[in-house]
Amino acid sequence: MNYSLFKKLILLVVALAVVMTACGDGDGDSAIDGPTIRLRGQDFSEAVTIAEVYGQYLQAKGYDVEILTPAGFRTEAIDGLRNDELDLIVDYIGGSLTALAPDAASSSDPDEVVTIIGPAYEEIGATLLDYSPAVDGDAFVVRGDSPASTISDVADLGYVFGASAQCFERPQCFLGYTDPAIYGITFAETVTIEFGPLLGEALAAGEVDAVVWNTTAPQITEQGFKVLEDDQGLHPAQNIAPIISTEVLNEYGDQLRDDLNELSAMITTEDLLAWNTETDIAKRESDDVAAEWLEEKGLN
Amino acid sequence: MMIAQAAVPRDIGVLEWLFDSTSWTGTDGILSSLGDTVILCAIVVVIATITMVPLASWLAHTRRGEVSVSWLVTLSRAIPTFAVAGLLVPISLRSGWGFEPWPIFIALLLLALPPIFLNTYTAIQQVDPGAVDAARAMGYSETEVLFRVELALATSVILAGVRVAAVTVVATEPIRAFLGGDGLGRYVRDGLGQNNDGLVIAGAMLIAGLAGLTALSFRSVERFALPDGVRRLATSATR
Amino acid sequence: MIPLLAQAANPIVRWEYFIDEWDQIRRALVEHLELTVYAVALGLIVSAGLAAIALRYRWMVTPINGFTAFLYTIPSVALFGILVPYFGLSRLSAVLPLAAYTLLILVTNIVAGFNSVSPEVREAADGMGMTPARRVFQVELPLAMPYIIAGLRIAVVSTVGLVTVAAIIGQGGLGRLILDGLRRTFWTPMTIGSSLSILLALALDGLILLGGRWLTPWAQRGRGVL
Repeated sequence: MNYSLFKKLILLVVALAVVMTACGDGDGDSAIDGPTIRLRGQDFSEAVTIAEVYGQYLQAKGYDVEILTPAGFRTEAIDGLRNDELDLIVDYIGGSLTALAPDAASSSDPDEVVTIIGPAYEEIGATLLDYSPAVDGDAFVVRGDSPASTISDVADLGYVFGASAQCFERPQCFLGYTDPAIYGITFAETVTIEFGPLLGEALAAGEVDAVVWNTTAPQITEQGFKVLEDDQGLHPAQNIAPIISTEVLNEYGDQLRDDLNELSAMITTEDLLAWNTETDIAKRESDDVAAEWLEEKGLN
Repeated sequence: MMIAQAAVPRDIGVLEWLFDSTSWTGTDGILSSLGDTVILCAIVVVIATITMVPLASWLAHTRRGEVSVSWLVTLSRAIPTFAVAGLLVPISLRSGWGFEPWPIFIALLLLALPPIFLNTYTAIQQVDPGAVDAARAMGYSETEVLFRVELALATSVILAGVRVAAVTVVATEPIRAFLGGDGLGRYVRDGLGQNNDGLVIAGAMLIAGLAGLTALSFRSVERFALPDGVRRLATSATR
Repeated sequence: MIPLLAQAANPIVRWEYFIDEWDQIRRALVEHLELTVYAVALGLIVSAGLAAIALRYRWMVTPINGFTAFLYTIPSVALFGILVPYFGLSRLSAVLPLAAYTLLILVTNIVAGFNSVSPEVREAADGMGMTPARRVFQVELPLAMPYIIAGLRIAVVSTVGLVTVAAIIGQGGLGRLILDGLRRTFWTPMTIGSSLSILLALALDGLILLGGRWLTPWAQRGRGVL
């Protein structure tokens, strides 16, 4: 009786091990020789679509690309490059600036931003490629019926302010809005809301009067909100740009660099907005939206 | 346009922050957040108790629903709490009820109901005949047996269930901070969003501390509520 | 309420999604299962060790109990978040906290299981000339199994629920569907993710229950509320 328990336990463990190893996935092959390019998008729908676009584009060209499950945000993306976990990421240059050079001066001019983050990326073994004309920047959003048209107009309206946790600690965000030297706004109250459609829901429901969102959020037009003008130029330039591991780039040489730059040049802000409308309003999947766009452009 | 910026503070020392009096006071302070958390958790536990104890006692007494009880408890453990709360938030907002209290309240209530229900049900169902016999042998009258033994034994198990419910609710309440609310979870949320590991750890310690305090408080109430003799009786008879 | 939940592009469940994204759903399910198994397996190994210490050195029971209870109360979001800078967005960052959360119930139940063995049985085993090792594995362990199985059931069900939270570090299995739904206010993946997660938990619970009966056929007599 006692041996049988033991035997049964061993049997169970072996069976479990077999089942676990059987649940695996296969690999594909590629036309261009070189190391696998590990690409990972940040964990929000726009970034996922951007990652799919770059990933599928490179795959169509014959590169061996592994599009990893989207996860984390900027910090994890940059850490991934630094720790050789990832080879290719796409980021917003203003965000990269805040992350890599928090003490440096911000700017709404992309070329100025790039002169700072380019070398910063080189220090961690990555190369910043050309930035795209596509921009997804910070948006100070209010409901359509608000009397304000620039951010300065909000100063004395006693608004309730909603934003994500990051915003409250960023000089180009909450700290800038409330800084007397910049916007000097006094808010009646502040609410911390996870970044995403909840911001729009809260704004529509009247829980808050102003939120910090992103310029390509499709719900802004859909719900009739308006983006106030950044008259003090607080918001940094936020063009998207691919950043690739220098080692991997060197393996492939100029061809990879040119291919990536070609793609970046073709993406526009309207494209970002269109993609977001597809994923967030029409509830379609990022990989389908990316495939469709690439086909339209004849890139796959 | 170039704008100079102040250096962004990161990784505030955990002990430094905890011992700084400004962290504790004010509307964003620890005391205020603690108050928010305690009030919500208390309301949830009280409502769970006053609904589940009578219901479970009656069901156990009349011997109903035995099979479904175990499955219901398993089911409720399997429900992903943050999914429930997250799903309820847009509904709550669109219905004009705001971020709080309904989504988090309902989600936490779902967590609190099962342990209280199960323990009450089991307690009433399982009062050990051995303890009852021993009490009788010691000369207790029937009424004394009922109230001083059976109910007393049942109470300790019920209280244990309430304790488990309370600790679970306190430990899970932090998700409220991710759903437009505050409470003690706000430090974890802010720390994660601002890359401030120190704040995350400090927040986690505060929550774990409160949960531990809750557990200890309940245990002392349990000890106090159960007279020594009966407890000894209970521990030897029911093991 | 009904209109809220049944907009054209956003019903509670849009069945085409289920079919189109079946690949993704299946992968999420498999990942969820894998994470659960790794976490509970690790938790079981560590718990066995801790339980052994607690059973051998009685004074360790309270500190070990306190330690496992303390781990249990650390909010999962915090624990996942803290490990990421060290272990990256990897399985390890997910499995370690998940395993930690199983310690409380597993250690408690393993200890309770071995404690339930009456001293007479131990004496009888020793009297028969068994070495302590044989006694533990051939006599005490089978008797402790019902408690261990009960603990495993609870541990597995709780872990399935907690794996969904690991979605925030990219390792959530079905939780990724739920999170995607939350991020886009899209009910379908939320419903599918939550339902499958619950079904998985119930299925695993049932499997362990049956497995327990297969392993310990002698323990079927008598009523127990385990």
